[in-house]
Amino acid sequence: MSLQLRNIRLPLADFALETDAMFDWPITGIFGPSGAGKTSLLDLIAGLRRPVAGAVKLDDKVIFDAANRLNLPPRLRRIGYVPQDLALFPHLKVRANLLYGYRPALIENELFTLGHVAGVMEITPLLERNVTTLSGGEQQRVAFARAILSAPRLLLLDEPMSSLDSRLKKRLIPFLLRIRDEFRIPLIYVTHDAAELVALCDEVLMLERGQLIGRGSPADVLA
Amino acid sequence: MKTKALVLLFSLLIATSISAAELTVYAAASLTDALKEIAATYEKQSGDKLQFNFGASSMLARQIEEGAPADLFFSADEAKMDALEKKDLLLPGTRRSLLSNFLVLIVPADASAAPKSAADLAKPEFKKIALAEPQTVPAGIYAREYLQKLGLWDAVKEKVVPTENVRAALAAVESGNVEVGIVYKTDSLISKKVKVAVEVPAAEGPKISYPIAVLKSSKQPDRAKKFAEYLAGPTPRSVFEKFGFTFAK
Amino acid sequence: MTAEAWQIVFFTIEVSALSTLLILPLGVAVAWLIARREWPGKAVVETMAMLPLFVPPVATGLLLLMLFSRRGPLGSMLQRGFGWDIVFTWRAVVLACAVMSFPLLVRTAQAAFEGVSARFEDIARTLGASEWRVFATISLPLAARGIVAGAVLAFARAMGEFGATAIVAGMIPRKTMTISLSIYQNIQLGHDAAALPLLFVSIGIVFITVLCGQIITMRKRPR
Repeated sequence: MSLQLRNIRLPLADFALETDAMFDWPITGIFGPSGAGKTSLLDLIAGLRRPVAGAVKLDDKVIFDAANRLNLPPRLRRIGYVPQDLALFPHLKVRANLLYGYRPALIENELFTLGHVAGVMEITPLLERNVTTLSGGEQQRVAFARAILSAPRLLLLDEPMSSLDSRLKKRLIPFLLRIRDEFRIPLIYVTHDAAELVALCDEVLMLERGQLIGRGSPADVLA
Repeated sequence: MKTKALVLLFSLLIATSISAAELTVYAAASLTDALKEIAATYEKQSGDKLQFNFGASSMLARQIEEGAPADLFFSADEAKMDALEKKDLLLPGTRRSLLSNFLVLIVPADASAAPKSAADLAKPEFKKIALAEPQTVPAGIYAREYLQKLGLWDAVKEKVVPTENVRAALAAVESGNVEVGIVYKTDSLISKKVKVAVEVPAAEGPKISYPIAVLKSSKQPDRAKKFAEYLAGPTPRSVFEKFGFTFAK
Repeated sequence: MTAEAWQIVFFTIEVSALSTLLILPLGVAVAWLIARREWPGKAVVETMAMLPLFVPPVATGLLLLMLFSRRGPLGSMLQRGFGWDIVFTWRAVVLACAVMSFPLLVRTAQAAFEGVSARFEDIARTLGASEWRVFATISLPLAARGIVAGAVLAFARAMGEFGATAIVAGMIPRKTMTISLSIYQNIQLGHDAAALPLLFVSIGIVFITVLCGQIITMRKRPR
C-alpha cells in the first residue's frame, strides 16, 4: 500500500500544516511534540478535515485533489481511525460497536469476521458488556477490533496508548503487531513515546509546527 | 383703560385654560365612530378634552367596579348600569337612557349565501356565527335573547364564535372567517366589507337601550354633567342619527 | 371541578401533546442543521426560529390570523386542498401552541446535539456510515435525553399558551377553550372563584410534566 500526500496545506490555529510525503511501510510512525499538527494530519488523511491545497493518493486512487475539487468523503475512503480518546460509542454494547462498520459484502476472507477478530484481540468474553464498564486496556483492544472489522486498507492510530501505563503498553504492542501480520493492514501510528516508536515502527516521520522536518528509521530519528 | 381690559381678558383666558378639564368616558364599542365625531366638535367649543375608552360594556363596567378612573359611563345595556347603580357607583340623578339600536344579521360583502331570516341560521351552510360573548357583552346578550325568543338558540349555539366585543364580531365577518354575524345596525353601516342580510325589526327584536351616567368617583362632576347633557342636544343627535342610532323614548 | 372544567383540561392536554408531536420532526431537523452545519442564510433561519420567543404573543397571533384566515395565503390553500378551516377551530389552537413552543424545542435540541462530541460522528463516518446513518444511529440517540427535555418544555409551554391562541382561535366553549382562555374568561365574567380549580390543575399538570422531564434528563447512565 502506498499513501502519497502532495503539497498539502491545511491552516491550523497558529500555523499551517504543510506536507509532501509518501507512506509505504507496514508501520509508519509520526513523531513530534504536542501541538505539532499530528492529529490534523491524520484527520485529513481520513477525510475528516479538508486541506485548502494539495492532493492525496491512496495506492492508485486519488482521494483528494484541491485543484480539481475532488474530495472523497470518509465513508468511501476505507481508512480506519482509532482516535486518541477511542470514541467508543457509549450507547452501544461492545458487539454493536464492533459491528458498526462491518459490511460482509466487502470482506474477501474469513480473517475479518467478528469471531476471528475478537479472538485475536482477546475480547470475546466482553461482547455483551457496556463499553463504559471496560478497563483501559480492554477499551483499547475493542477500538482496534472495531476499526479492523471495517476491513480498511489503511489504519490510522492517534496516540492510542497515551492514557495507559507502561505495563499495559507493553501488553498491547503485540496486538498491534498482530494487526500488521495477521490482518496485513498498514498502520500510520502517531505518538510522542520513543519506546513505542522503537517497538513498532519501520519508518518514522518527524513533524514540528506543521512541517515534516525529518525522516528515517526509529534509531536515526531518535539519535 | 386699555391695559386693564387686556389684563382682564388675559386672566380670563388663563382662567379658562387652567380650568379646561380632561374627561374620561368609558363607552360601548358600538359608539366608537359616532362619539369620536361628536367629541371633535365638543372639544373645540368647550375647551374640554375627551378621553375615550371603548370596549365591551361588560368589561368596562368591571373595570369601573375595580376602581378604574372614569367620569362617565355610556353603556350598551341597562343591566350593566344597574349593576353599577346597585354598588352605589353612580352620581344620583345623572342617569338617563339616550339611544337605541337595531340588531342585524350580516354576511361578508362578497358572500354568495345569506340567511333570509334568523331561522336560516340553523342551515348547514352557515358553519360559524360570530357574536359578542353571549353571556356578558350587551350585543351578545341581545342576540342570544332574540334567538331564544324564536326558539332557535339551542339549534345554533354550537356554531357560535363568541368575540370580546361587537366590533370584533364585525371584524370576524369582514375577514370571511365566519359565514354570518349578529351585530348592531350601526356597526354594519360603517363597514364596506359586510352587507346586511336580515334586519331585525324593532317590534320583534330585544329592547336595546344605551344609558349614560356620571360616576360618583368623577373628579369633575360638573363638566361631566355638562357633556352628558350636551349629548342629548340637537347637534349630537344628528350625528347619532347619521350613524344609524335611534333614540330612547 | 365540574365536568365542563375537566373537558377543558383534557382538551388542553390533547392539543398540547398534538402540537408537540407535530413540531418534533421539524424542530429536531432544524436543531441538528443549526448545530452541525454551516450554510448561507443560516443566521436568518436561526433568528426566525427564535422569533416567537421574543415577539409579543398577540403579535404572533395576528400574523397567524392573517396567514391562515380563509382568505389568507395559507388558509385558502388548506381550504382548497383539504377542506380545512383553521381560524376559530381546534386546529388554530394546535397551530398557535406549535408556533409558540417551537423555539424552546429547537434551542434545547440544538444544545443537545452540540453536546454530542463530533468525534463520535467522525469515527462513524470512517466506519462507512452515510450522513443519514450517522444522524440516526449516533447523533440522535446520544442527543435523545436533551431532545426529550426539549419536548417536555415545548409541551409545558403549549399548556400555558394564551395570547396567540386568543387571537387566532377565539374562546369558543368546547371547541377552542383551553385552560388559560377559560381562566381569562372567568375573570372577565367576574367568576374569579370558578377560575381557581383550573388554575391549580394547570399548575399541577405542568409541575408533574417538568418534573418528569428533569428526572429523564438527570437519570444516571454512564456516559
